Amino acid sequence: MKTAQAGTLESMDCLVTASEAEKGRGISITMEGASVARFGEAILKTAKETLREIGVKDIKLSIQDNGATDLVLRARVEAAALRLFGGDRR
Amino acid sequence: MRLRRTKLYLPGNNPNMLLRGYLFKPDGVILDLEDAVSMSEKDAARILVREVLKQGEFGECEVTVRINGMDTAFWRKDIETVVPCGIDGIRVPKVESPKDMQILDEALSEIEEKAGIPVGKTLIFCLLETALGIWRAYDIATSSPRIAGICPGGEDLRADLKTDRSETGEELVGPRRIVVLAAHAAKVDALDTVYADVTDDEGLKRETQWIKQLGYQGKSVIHPNQIPIIHAVFAPTQKEIEQAKKIVAAAREAAKKGLGAVSVDGRMVDKPVVKRAEYTLQRAGLLEGGE
Amino acid sequence: MAVNAAGRNIPNNIPGYGDVLPFRGYTKRLPKGNRVGKKNRATFNTRTDKTLPNLKAAIKASGLQSGMTISFHHHLRNGDYVVNMVLDACYELGIKELVVFPTALFGVHKHLTKHIQKGVIKQIQGSVNGPIGQLASEGGMELPVVLRSHGGRPRAVMSGDVHIDVAFVAAPTADRYGNLTGAHGESACGSLGYAHTDADFAECVVAVTDNLVNYPALDIQIPQTQVDYVVEVDKIGDPSGIVSGTTRVTRDPMRLLIARYAARLIEASPYFKEGISFQTGAGGISLATAAYVREAMRERNIKGSFGLGGITSFFVDMLEEGLFEQILDVQSFDLAAVESISRNAKHVEISADWYANPWNAGCVVNMLDTVVLGATEVDRKFNANVNTEADGALLHGIGGHQDTASGAKLTIITTPLLRGRIPSVVDSVYTVTTPGEVVDAVVTEFGVAINPNRKDLIEAAKSDPEIPLVSIDDLVEKAEKLTGSMTPVEVEDRIIGVVEYRDGSVIDVVRQLKKK
Repeated sequence: MKTAQAGTLESMDCLVTASEAEKGRGISITMEGASVARFGEAILKTAKETLREIGVKDIKLSIQDNGATDLVLRARVEAAALRLFGGDRR
Repeated sequence: MRLRRTKLYLPGNNPNMLLRGYLFKPDGVILDLEDAVSMSEKDAARILVREVLKQGEFGECEVTVRINGMDTAFWRKDIETVVPCGIDGIRVPKVESPKDMQILDEALSEIEEKAGIPVGKTLIFCLLETALGIWRAYDIATSSPRIAGICPGGEDLRADLKTDRSETGEELVGPRRIVVLAAHAAKVDALDTVYADVTDDEGLKRETQWIKQLGYQGKSVIHPNQIPIIHAVFAPTQKEIEQAKKIVAAAREAAKKGLGAVSVDGRMVDKPVVKRAEYTLQRAGLLEGGE
Repeated sequence: MAVNAAGRNIPNNIPGYGDVLPFRGYTKRLPKGNRVGKKNRATFNTRTDKTLPNLKAAIKASGLQSGMTISFHHHLRNGDYVVNMVLDACYELGIKELVVFPTALFGVHKHLTKHIQKGVIKQIQGSVNGPIGQLASEGGMELPVVLRSHGGRPRAVMSGDVHIDVAFVAAPTADRYGNLTGAHGESACGSLGYAHTDADFAECVVAVTDNLVNYPALDIQIPQTQVDYVVEVDKIGDPSGIVSGTTRVTRDPMRLLIARYAARLIEASPYFKEGISFQTGAGGISLATAAYVREAMRERNIKGSFGLGGITSFFVDMLEEGLFEQILDVQSFDLAAVESISRNAKHVEISADWYANPWNAGCVVNMLDTVVLGATEVDRKFNANVNTEADGALLHGIGGHQDTASGAKLTIITTPLLRGRIPSVVDSVYTVTTPGEVVDAVVTEFGVAINPNRKDLIEAAKSDPEIPLVSIDDLVEKAEKLTGSMTPVEVEDRIIGVVEYRDGSVIDVVRQLKKK
């Protein structure tokens, strides 16, 4: 199965691992890390929004968080998706 | 007159520094897509820097991005991504030809136009990291109205000169002198290279004092702890401040009275002297902005 | 239920704790009556040796029964062996349902979770770090944890709120008649400041040492008149966990930035003059602040009166340089402090009572000019939380936070605005440890907020353009903008932690976390 990663486990960053999902499976996201207890919902929302904005409908994401704020999460999700699909986002 | 005493490099793939670097109050920040980012991370760093530029804060800092060299495959995508965010300027590594700066100027204009940014707003800072770059410093500095500053290289320059780092820094004395001359001849800022040993405060202070004396306006910085040391070196002495206050006051008087000539202590003082006095007060934190 | 002066809704009675005295303000509760005391005892020259062969013998001799209260000090910090050894021995003797009353617990004491689960320990009245804190937060302890400050603990003991049946005093050096000192021995810890309460008031005092010396010991800190038994063991602790080497000032740029702002605030305040006294922490931002203040003292030729705390080599150096007249030591953190305390008459050991007890004729914190503290959170009202983390788990003790904040003329809390994504300046803290009325300033990398009730400080800070003054609301909003909003912690009704204020009233409670 094809996977791609973006980000790091450094402070204020997150490591996003993206893997292919069958067409029609939709978006599934798992996460772990220091902020998940209080920001789990916010992380989920941002990740889904970012994927929607770049036009990704089917993907599996695993997020290891080390205190990434919203814009960092956004950037890492986009980069991971980009690397997974190359130039082709669908 | 923009103060450029310190420009802090923020590694383009490091969220921590990108988001908080400005809090250390350097005069400028350089979001680095080049040397701080490995080949395999160029794409992710570019996206991160874009998001930080769109939503991040930079206080009063001049915001520039060091793009990848024009000899790489990355530079076009770099400027296409960051310029529309409305940055103050880009820093270009390994500049060797005035022609390249013209190409860059045109590329920037195209992007600015498309993004609705005033054409010409994005400044260019040139890193001269090879013997050829240094040799052509004046031509490069005058090749485009966007160019606001030129900087000599450090490690890369030594390699091109086929020499190594010495205690005295002898090998970079000549290049530094050429760059500062060319910069002022071209009426752009001369900005010195980084001091690599972040634990050697005394060494940094000495080098900064020396390059200030040569005529440099500031230095690049790789660690926030270096900032207060450099600012202290560039801070004017009490005597300089008193004198500058006198000159600026006299200039204001003369302007109020509609007089063309400014006189201080019975002597005529011309415009460049007034400007330098204003710059002194600015460095002392006693004057806002300036032209 | 009633809302106390810190804005918290606390029930009138808490199961496992008793009736609640609500916090009414930092000087509101006054004592009644006299101090309690030990039973009288007579000792004649027929007894010249208090040593017993092992811990079990001492426990038997002490008369310890199930259900009683035992106490410990934490001067051996994360290198301590004694707490675990004593509980192991109690278990082997079939003693259970003990109330454990330490001045603090550390990671090394996670061993106690076994004894909690086996019923040897019924309750802990003291800080619970790491795994024990997590266990308590998830409801794994029968009775609530009761947290008290360094000054609140002696107050509780002397007013009879807590009766110590047997105190086990780890003593780096002891003689056969029970003279104790922390200044010498392989496990030297310097000051035994926190142990004095136990020695003064416990019904039976058992000293545990790994360095038995000839009578009388040198540099006695706890005298023989208070000690009933002495037990020698192989090792009372691991020196590398007891004291650190030299304490170094951090070079982390973010911490230095915050420290610089805090130092400038101190320098702009009316207290930065000849005779200044201050207390800072043992590391991080707090110590870095001391470094900047020291620089300014040298530049302006200002000599301080005393340094207080948690003493490290940094304060020892300042004393030796003549920047302090004396240093008052309730806890010694590193080798230099240990070495200095017995050598330098101006380096004085003080007890917790002397340091921070509000119910005596005057404790040192009342004379303190400024203190630099940390916190996990502060809120719009300047309330500070040092007990719980963002996930709502009870993790840290109060330490001297409430005491120094209440006493010092200028109380500064330094904290990075964000720890990862977790904000440290919030609308309302999860747990109130120290009330906002005694917190004067919050210093972060994004700016300095001064309590509106300190107009004098606000004016003073305005005189220094380098101090980035902001309002506390600015900081709350800035943090929220960066982090987004947090989902609330989900809790059950059951109270698993009681946070007492130093006067014995209840300032807040911690509730059990809901299972995920």
